[in-house]
Amino acid sequence: DEIGLIPCPEARYNRSPIVLVENKLGVESWCVKFLLPYVHNKLVLYRQRKQWLNKDELIDITCTLLLLNPDFTTAWNVRKELILSGTLNPLKDLHLGKLALTKFPKSPETWIHRRWVLQQLIQENSLPSLVTKGNLGAAPVERIHRLVQEEMNVCSEAAGRYPSNYNAWSHRIWVLQHLGKLTVKVLLDELSSTKYWVSMHVSDHSGFHYRQFLLKSLIGRTVTDNNVLVQNQIINEQNPSLQKEEESAGAEAACAEEQSVDLPRHLEEELELCTELIDSYPGHETLWCHSDETLNNSHHSPATSPMAQAMDVDGLNESSSKQGYTQETKRLKRAPMQDSFGPEVEYRFIDKVLSTCRDVDQARFATAYRKWLVTFLGQ
Amino acid sequence: APVFPRSAYCAASVASLTNILTPALFAGTAEWIARCQNWEGGIGGVPGMEAHGGYTFCGMAALVILKKEHLLNLRSLLRWVTSRQMCFEGGFQGRCNKLVDGCYSFWQAGLLPLLHRALHARGDTALSMERWMFHQLALQEYILLCCQCPAGGLLDKPGKSRDFYHTCYCLSGLAIAQHFGSGDLHHEVVLGGPENRLQATHPVYNITPEKVARAVMHFLQQPVPSLEPAA
Repeated sequence: DEIGLIPCPEARYNRSPIVLVENKLGVESWCVKFLLPYVHNKLVLYRQRKQWLNKDELIDITCTLLLLNPDFTTAWNVRKELILSGTLNPLKDLHLGKLALTKFPKSPETWIHRRWVLQQLIQENSLPSLVTKGNLGAAPVERIHRLVQEEMNVCSEAAGRYPSNYNAWSHRIWVLQHLGKLTVKVLLDELSSTKYWVSMHVSDHSGFHYRQFLLKSLIGRTVTDNNVLVQNQIINEQNPSLQKEEESAGAEAACAEEQSVDLPRHLEEELELCTELIDSYPGHETLWCHSDETLNNSHHSPATSPMAQAMDVDGLNESSSKQGYTQETKRLKRAPMQDSFGPEVEYRFIDKVLSTCRDVDQARFATAYRKWLVTFLGQ
Repeated sequence: APVFPRSAYCAASVASLTNILTPALFAGTAEWIARCQNWEGGIGGVPGMEAHGGYTFCGMAALVILKKEHLLNLRSLLRWVTSRQMCFEGGFQGRCNKLVDGCYSFWQAGLLPLLHRALHARGDTALSMERWMFHQLALQEYILLCCQCPAGGLLDKPGKSRDFYHTCYCLSGLAIAQHFGSGDLHHEVVLGGPENRLQATHPVYNITPEKVARAVMHFLQQPVPSLEPAA
C-alpha cells in the first residue's frame, strides 16, 4: 500500500534490492540507476517497433517504470492501449496510480491518467454488458459511489503528503463534478468529512478552497432546485393535465428533499469554524481568506435573503456553473443579512483579536479584514 | 487537462507573433479563461479551481493578446496579486499561504504591468506614472540577495539548487521590477549599482521589446499561410 526509496548508495550484500515489509514496497536506491534506464530503454525500443514485447512484459515494464517515475507519459499511454484492447483491467491502474502517489503525491501525469481511467469506467457503466473485468459487479450507482469514496481517500492521502497539493485537490473537485454529479448528499458528506482535515492543516489553502467549492456548489444547488420548483409550480398551474403530474411530483419530492439543506446553518458553522481556528492558530492568511469569502457567501446566499432570490438566480446563471465568481457591483446590491451572524459579530471578533493577539501577521490580517468589511459591506 | 490558461497563452503568443491569429482560432477561448477567474480574484487551471500565479499570468497575458482583458474582474485580480507579495521576504508567493518562490517574481509581478495598461485603457485616473503597483525595490532585494547561486544562476529560495527555469524567471522578474513603462513614460529604479541593471522585458511575451517588434515585422512581411493543405 506504499512505495518508497531506501537510501542505500552501494550494494553491500548479494541480495535483491526489493524489500517488502508489512505490505510496503521499498527499492534500494543503488539499483535505480541500473533499473530505470534498462526498463526505459526496453519500452522506447518497443515504441519504435524495434523490439517486441508481449502483453505481460508490457504490463510489468510499465508498472516498474511508473513506480520509479510516474510522470513518464508514454508508459501510461501504453497502459491506456492495453486497457482499450481489453488486456488490462482499469482497476489495476487505479491501484498502481494510488501506489505511485504515495511517493509522488503531486505527479500530474498520474492524476491525468487516473481521470482517463475513471472516464472509461463510467462509460462502461452505461453499457448493459459490464461485469466482465472482475470488478465489483454491484449496481452501477453503488459502484460509482464506491469509486467516489475511494477517490476521496486517495486525494486525502495525497493532500496529506504534500502541503497545498493543487493537483490532488483539483482532482477531488473533478471527481465530485463528473462522478458525484454534485448531489447535495455528496456535497454535505464532503463538508463534514473534510472538516477535521482542514482543522489539522490550517495553512492548506487548497483544502479551504475545496470547502469554498463545496459551499458554493451547495448554494448553486439550492438555487437551481428552487428554480425547478418554481418552474414546476408554474407548469402545474398553467397545465393541469395528468401527464405531467407524476413527473413533477417526483421532481418536487426530490427538490423538497434537497430543499432541506439548511444553508444558513452550514454557512454559520463554517464561520464558526474559521473563528475557532483563527483564535487557536494566529497568523494564517488562509483562514482569514476563507472567513472573508464565507461571509461573502452568506451575505448574498439566496437562502438568507429571499427577496434577492430572483437576482441571485440570474447572477449565478450568468457566471455559469456554481463556481463562478460574483461581480462586486452585484454584491453591493444585495438585501441585508439576518442578524444571527453578520458584520456586527465579525467586528466584535476582529476587535477581540486585535486587542489580544501578539502575532504580527494576525494583527495585519485582522486589520485588512476589517478594512474589507467596511469597504464591501458598506457598514 | 487542468492547465488550460497555460496552453492558451502559448497558442496566443505564437499566433500573434507569427501573424496567424484569427478570431476563429480563438473562438470562445477568452470567455473560458474568464471563467477560470475565481472568488479569490486570481485565475485557476480550470473553472472552479484555486487561483494560481502561473495560470493567472498566462490567462491574463492571453487575454491581453486577444484584447479581451476586460472580461476579467480587474479589481479583484489586482487585489489578489498584490496580496501575493510577501511582507517579509519581498518576493512573491504563487498562492495564498504558500512560501515565496523566485520564479513568481515574474508570474506574479509581471501581472502588474498588464493590469496597469488595462486599467489605464479604461480611463483610470488614479494610476501612477512612475511605478507599478507592487514594491519594486523589495522584489529586487529578494532576487539579488536571496535568489543568486554563488556559482552562477538563480533559484527559488535560499537552500534550493539553481536551474534554468528559475534563472529565467528570476531575471525576468528583476527586469520587470527595474523598468516602469516605456518610451516617454519610461522610469527606471535599479537597486544597487548600474551593474545590476537589466534590459527591459516585454510584459506580455517576456522577450525584449525590440525582439517582439522584429518578430512581428518579419511575419507581417510573409504571406499568411492558407488553410488548405499543401499540394
